[in-house]
Amino acid sequence: MKKVLIVDDANFMRTSLKMMLERNGFEVIGEAENGLVALNKYKEMKPDIVTMDITMPVCDGIKAVKMIKEFDPNAKIVMISSMGQECFVKEAVVAGAKGFIVKPFKEDYVVKAIEKL
Amino acid sequence: MSDNTGREPMLEMFIFETFQLVDQLEQSLLDSEKESSFEASINEIFRIMHTIKGSAAMMLYDNISSLAHSIEDLFYYLREKKPSTIDSTKIIDIVLDGADFIKNETTKIQNGLDPDGDEAHLVNMINNYLDSLKSINNDSGKNTKEENESREENEQKYYISSKKTSDKFDSDYYKYEALLFFDDECEMENIRAFSVIHDLEEVADIISYYPEDVMNSENDSDEKIRKDGFKVVFKTNLGISEVKDRLSHTLFLKSLDVYITDDMFQESIKEIPDNSDNNVESDPLLKKQRINIELSETVENAYPKENYDKDKVNEMSESQNIPKKEHVSSGSGKQSVISVNISKLDMLMDLVGELVISEAMVTQNPDLKGLQIDNFYKAARQLNKITKELQDTVMSIRMVPLSMTFQKMNRIVRDMGKKLNKSVVLEIIGEETEVDKNIIERISDPLIHLIRNSIDHGIEEENERVAKGKPPYGKLTLEAKNTGGDVWIIVKDDGRGLDKDKILKRAVENGLAIKPESEYTDKEIYSFIFLPGFSTKEKVTEFSGRGVGMDIVIKNIQTVGGTVQVDSIPGQGTILYIKFPLTLAIIDGMTVAVGKTRYTIPTISIKESFRVKNEAIIQDTEGNELIMLRGECYPVLRLHSFYKIKTEITDINDGIVIMVENDAKTICIFADALLGEQQVVVKALPKYIKKVTGISGCTLLGDGNISLILDIAGLF
Amino acid sequence: MAEILDNILELEEDTQKGKFLTFVIGNEVYGIEIKFVTEIIGIQLITEVPELPDYVRGIINLRGKIIPVLDVRLRFKREFKEYNDRTCIVVVDIKELSVGLIVDSVAEVISISENNIVEPPDSNTGFNNKYIKGIGKVGDEVKLLLDCNKLLNDDECDNLSKIN
Repeated sequence: MKKVLIVDDANFMRTSLKMMLERNGFEVIGEAENGLVALNKYKEMKPDIVTMDITMPVCDGIKAVKMIKEFDPNAKIVMISSMGQECFVKEAVVAGAKGFIVKPFKEDYVVKAIEKL
Repeated sequence: MSDNTGREPMLEMFIFETFQLVDQLEQSLLDSEKESSFEASINEIFRIMHTIKGSAAMMLYDNISSLAHSIEDLFYYLREKKPSTIDSTKIIDIVLDGADFIKNETTKIQNGLDPDGDEAHLVNMINNYLDSLKSINNDSGKNTKEENESREENEQKYYISSKKTSDKFDSDYYKYEALLFFDDECEMENIRAFSVIHDLEEVADIISYYPEDVMNSENDSDEKIRKDGFKVVFKTNLGISEVKDRLSHTLFLKSLDVYITDDMFQESIKEIPDNSDNNVESDPLLKKQRINIELSETVENAYPKENYDKDKVNEMSESQNIPKKEHVSSGSGKQSVISVNISKLDMLMDLVGELVISEAMVTQNPDLKGLQIDNFYKAARQLNKITKELQDTVMSIRMVPLSMTFQKMNRIVRDMGKKLNKSVVLEIIGEETEVDKNIIERISDPLIHLIRNSIDHGIEEENERVAKGKPPYGKLTLEAKNTGGDVWIIVKDDGRGLDKDKILKRAVENGLAIKPESEYTDKEIYSFIFLPGFSTKEKVTEFSGRGVGMDIVIKNIQTVGGTVQVDSIPGQGTILYIKFPLTLAIIDGMTVAVGKTRYTIPTISIKESFRVKNEAIIQDTEGNELIMLRGECYPVLRLHSFYKIKTEITDINDGIVIMVENDAKTICIFADALLGEQQVVVKALPKYIKKVTGISGCTLLGDGNISLILDIAGLF
Repeated sequence: MAEILDNILELEEDTQKGKFLTFVIGNEVYGIEIKFVTEIIGIQLITEVPELPDYVRGIINLRGKIIPVLDVRLRFKREFKEYNDRTCIVVVDIKELSVGLIVDSVAEVISISENNIVEPPDSNTGFNNKYIKGIGKVGDEVKLLLDCNKLLNDDECDNLSKIN
């Protein structure tokens, strides 16, 4: 089972995503509410995949992608973005994110995307 | 309950989070208003709206999402542009209206109804205001966030890099053409195309691609890609299957076609617009290009600088420390807390209660009577210590500070003040005082009512106040304090006070005055306002005057075991004292025997206990027994006769008297014997048994017997 | 009594319909549907609670749970009989309400099919009638089948009103 780390500052979003993933055979091994916590948890838990929100306090998603990729160049990170965040998604892609999913998302979309990683 | 059974667990969480976020929002706004500066809270409000927008969209509550989106846009503008001319009050009003809408819709959802509110009016108002802000502050008129972002990126000269130079490729390279279609509705296809290019660059030299301007979101390139797909032409020394494999890892890929092309790449790029021919000639696509590193700094600027900067982060990540989250506005505490389901807490409380009883049943077991088991008792004491600590801890989990409730009052005071054209300042003292969660919920509405009353009836209008020599703004004080087993909440205003004569007159009119008028103390007269139907207000306003409020207030407070008292000084103000027990579930009690029955008296009500000689008892004209003690006279209540219990001890000499008080009234209870003092878990009498006077519940004693808990207030 | 308890424990079948627990009050045998019965215990210490109707004897401690107990004899306005070691408390559970019924003794669990149950007669021979929902025939004997709901829910106002 692929291990996933979910990063988003909204509890609701984290839980929604967690439920979707767990229903589809993924193992959610951790959650983080900002990029800094995400980095630390990544180091600690070495997940296979990371889902990363963009807008977060303290340390946003883009910075987090950079830090995690620095730590592990093979890290597989998928961005979760809102419409209208094209600029930031590009940053994330340049920083090394493997792709992105747009909110609000449907379960099968998320699963399809993450399964590919 | 709710129809949304499929979404049930997420629904609870959505509702809880949304309410919590809106509360945070309100607090942030009101704090800003007090400090007359927005700076600190703009970010927070932006993020809150962004989050609500996302969650609501996930739950398909588009009206909430749409409204949140428009407020998010407004605050994005405020944050980015920092316009100099803004009308703070108007903005606050707008956002509060938006918050109310969101609260109302969420309440509908909570009650299983459809959130069918129409957000259009509010959204229009917000958008219009935003437009006006922009024109006032001389914006070029372009509205969208996207435009702002693309403007930034244009400034930075964003390029795609080609990491490998064409020199690297030896003759073993192939030219490919790939056509990609993305899944329907995956959105931002242009960025996905960009992502493909970026990925491909690691192993290939990009020759061309179409649509070209995928990095610029200010066009319809995503539409084009949806219709005709995204085409890339590139050179690499990878084989076709490796190329296909790599490209097929693209997220949301619907279809992929890869062909090997020949060197005449011009032909394969049929659809490239004219100016690119020039490009082909001068071969700029094969030139080395770089990413401009300024990029990252601009991203930083776009983001809230909440205690973050690059160096600090690097330091942090090296030392593996997670910094404490500092917050822009006070009270929006997102420290290390988790939210727990209330029913789990209740279960935990029950279990701990049962543990206390079971522990008593073991350590006070009649089987052990008379045995010499010192080691056992030593261990039992240790067990008792741990159980007590466990109990205290669990109880404290249920304790919640009054801050949230008190802070909510800020909004009420503000709104009422505005509507009635009175300026009122709310002073909050002791909000950190903690109270059982159950009680907090019951206290909120009564408090709101009392505060409304104060502002409506008590506080005078500005000119009247100034004429009286008072400061023009009214002062309302909300204070909470802890006194041992009770919590006091005091609501004080410096308004005109209660009109004693008017109240007495109204009481007499309504037939509520039993005693002759002269025999009433001031306090007693003031207490008339708590009786149902009582109101001296001639006019019925939106907020009060109907006389249906006060008695409901009292009832609510009494449900949690509390009492209310009122006092007033004419012309200077009114004070309301609300008192309620710290917790309902576990109390200290003194158990007494009456015949074969056991009764427990809450220790808090006990003043003293003593033996009495018959001679000390006197009878009044109606045959009621009284006892004289230190010059004062107290009524005597014989439990055995009050409850008709069979007992051998009817002679006052043989039993014990316990003096108890409640609300300044004292009586002496006569029982057979004192059995001991202990902590007891209050259990309700079974529902089948209807209310018994003077009994508030029961408890299980250590020996397995049941003891009835006396409700002192009910004995009077 | 142990055998009766065993019998009940064995009855884990799906259909408990038509099965009644019968008990004795004086000369009559009454039955209640087994589905309402949660347990049967011997008489134990009852804590009296003041101001209750005479047939509600008080409350008992059933493994930590507080349950009211009702004397069926007194409910049927019969003469009170002292409790002895045959006296049982039948604990019934209806709609989250748990009540213990004090009976002279418990008889057995029997099945009575629908066609052996007739409507109670209209003419009253006493107060009991309103609590009886049918008369069951078992061989030569007659069992008075009780309506549990009516037994527990009182329409009369003989409940607690403060005297004086």
